[in-house]
Amino acid sequence: MPDTKPNRPIANRLRDHLFAGVPAIWLFLFFIAPLCFTVVFSFGHASFGGVALGFTLDNYATALSGFYLTTFLRTLQFAATACVLCLIAAYPTAYFIARHAGRFKTLALVIVLVPYFTSFLIRVMSWQILLARGGPIEAILNALWLHSGPLDVMDTQTAVFIGMVYAYLPIAVVPLYIVLERIPMTLVEASRDLGSSRWQTFLHVVLPLSRPGIATAVLLTGVPMLGELVIPGLLGGDRGVLMGQAISSQYLGSQNYALGSAMAVLVLIAVAIIVVLLARLTRGFDEVSA
Amino acid sequence: MRAAARGPATTGQRASRVLLMLWYVLVVAFMFAPIVTSVIYAFNVGSLGKQTSAFTGWTLDWFGAAWNNVSLRTTIQTSLVASFWSALISVIVGSALGYALVRHPSEAVRRFLTGLTYVLLIVPETVTGVSLLLFYAVTRVPLSLVTLVLGITPLAISVTALIVRAGVMTLDRRLDEAAADLGANPWQALWFVVLPHLTPAVLAGALMSYVFSFDNLIVSSFLTTPQVSTLPVYLYGSLQYGPSPAVYAAAAAVFIFTMLLLGIAALLYRLVQQRGRFSKVSR
Repeated sequence: MPDTKPNRPIANRLRDHLFAGVPAIWLFLFFIAPLCFTVVFSFGHASFGGVALGFTLDNYATALSGFYLTTFLRTLQFAATACVLCLIAAYPTAYFIARHAGRFKTLALVIVLVPYFTSFLIRVMSWQILLARGGPIEAILNALWLHSGPLDVMDTQTAVFIGMVYAYLPIAVVPLYIVLERIPMTLVEASRDLGSSRWQTFLHVVLPLSRPGIATAVLLTGVPMLGELVIPGLLGGDRGVLMGQAISSQYLGSQNYALGSAMAVLVLIAVAIIVVLLARLTRGFDEVSA
Repeated sequence: MRAAARGPATTGQRASRVLLMLWYVLVVAFMFAPIVTSVIYAFNVGSLGKQTSAFTGWTLDWFGAAWNNVSLRTTIQTSLVASFWSALISVIVGSALGYALVRHPSEAVRRFLTGLTYVLLIVPETVTGVSLLLFYAVTRVPLSLVTLVLGITPLAISVTALIVRAGVMTLDRRLDEAAADLGANPWQALWFVVLPHLTPAVLAGALMSYVFSFDNLIVSSFLTTPQVSTLPVYLYGSLQYGPSPAVYAAAAAVFIFTMLLLGIAALLYRLVQQRGRFSKVSR
């Protein structure tokens, strides 16, 4: 190091610390700290409209019994199913864009992504019209002889699944596209030259190599689905309430902050478990960012 | 060459390509169906002032009705202001974070910040929303436009940070060093050397965080009050009691606004890319 710049490293370090420190402090204040409040409150004693701080597991006992347990399990099952459906829809889409769209690759990807940047609420509320009795989908299905009579999809689980797959499909496509695009053609050819069929090649070469993309897709779709509030609210009707709605009603409706906090913490624990499992699944691979 | 070696395989390949393409087309139709529907139904006559699932006829009245709806106008105003501040904050904080994610000298700090950024993206918004509500209730800070903006910034920051990070990754580290060797202090190097190269990423980050903030519904729904409400929260509320087609008219207007913003973002990005290509040639 030439001695002409003795204080440059210090100034550099200041810049580095500022750039890491300011965002970290901001996010701690306005994101992590509130979450900590929720964790603390989940151990408190509930009273109407307030919480007496303390340490009790009563809230968790309530949250893990009866109606609340059913809701929690239903939510896990719902998110898992919706996530798998989403991947099944997204994988061939990403595969086509990455490996068959040729020079229209970017365009093909952008077309799938554009709807994601339009208003979430507008897209979901349109499904209310599309799926309603006497709505466009009923008319189309009847015209195609695929269905006869009125369509009874609105306010059912099916409608919620359609809405979830719809809302999360684009963000599932992106990480899948990134890994599929990076798999070298030569690997596929080598596998073919060694005598495996296209299906075998896909199953034993392409699919395992796309594991990090699958994991990222699950992370970006399945995890947020655990707290989904709007889609089940608008499309699912009154039956089969999910965790997001149950938590929100504890805060906005019955004002039982302690129970609501315990339920929120349960969701966070489920999130953490999924993240750890996914990290294991992709161990040995480079991080794939969306 | 290979085609000659494996005659039947090509037919199979062609078949699978056609099937995949068919699937892609179906997915695109699926993705756009609701958007097209919402725009068309903004022109629907409806029945007794309510939206109907069957299309009953064309009219332009609802756009006027939406324009004359005072709550709609106020909430749009609030949304525009709130997302402006949120985008401004996230461009500054998020860009710094995006830079630190790649360039911070300590590996541990980089990993920690990366983890934090992803946590922001994946924690279900309902949990964030109720936590913020609780946070402000306990600290006795009354809900206002400020708390709303503060509530929606973390998500916007992580979106901006990831976009800027992608930009920083493509930057040559030696640019920084060259600037330092030529006598620039770290801030000058940043301002005159690094930032110009990151302009497309930072602009894209700004517009994305604006769009995301404008569209935020779940966190906002916990932080809005009857006095300070945003457009998505208002629309969501009005959906509970059979919306009027005016809601769809407002939504169509917002859709066009968002598309314009995204179009500008794409154009800017193109422009800056072209400029970059020229400067490479001249170098």
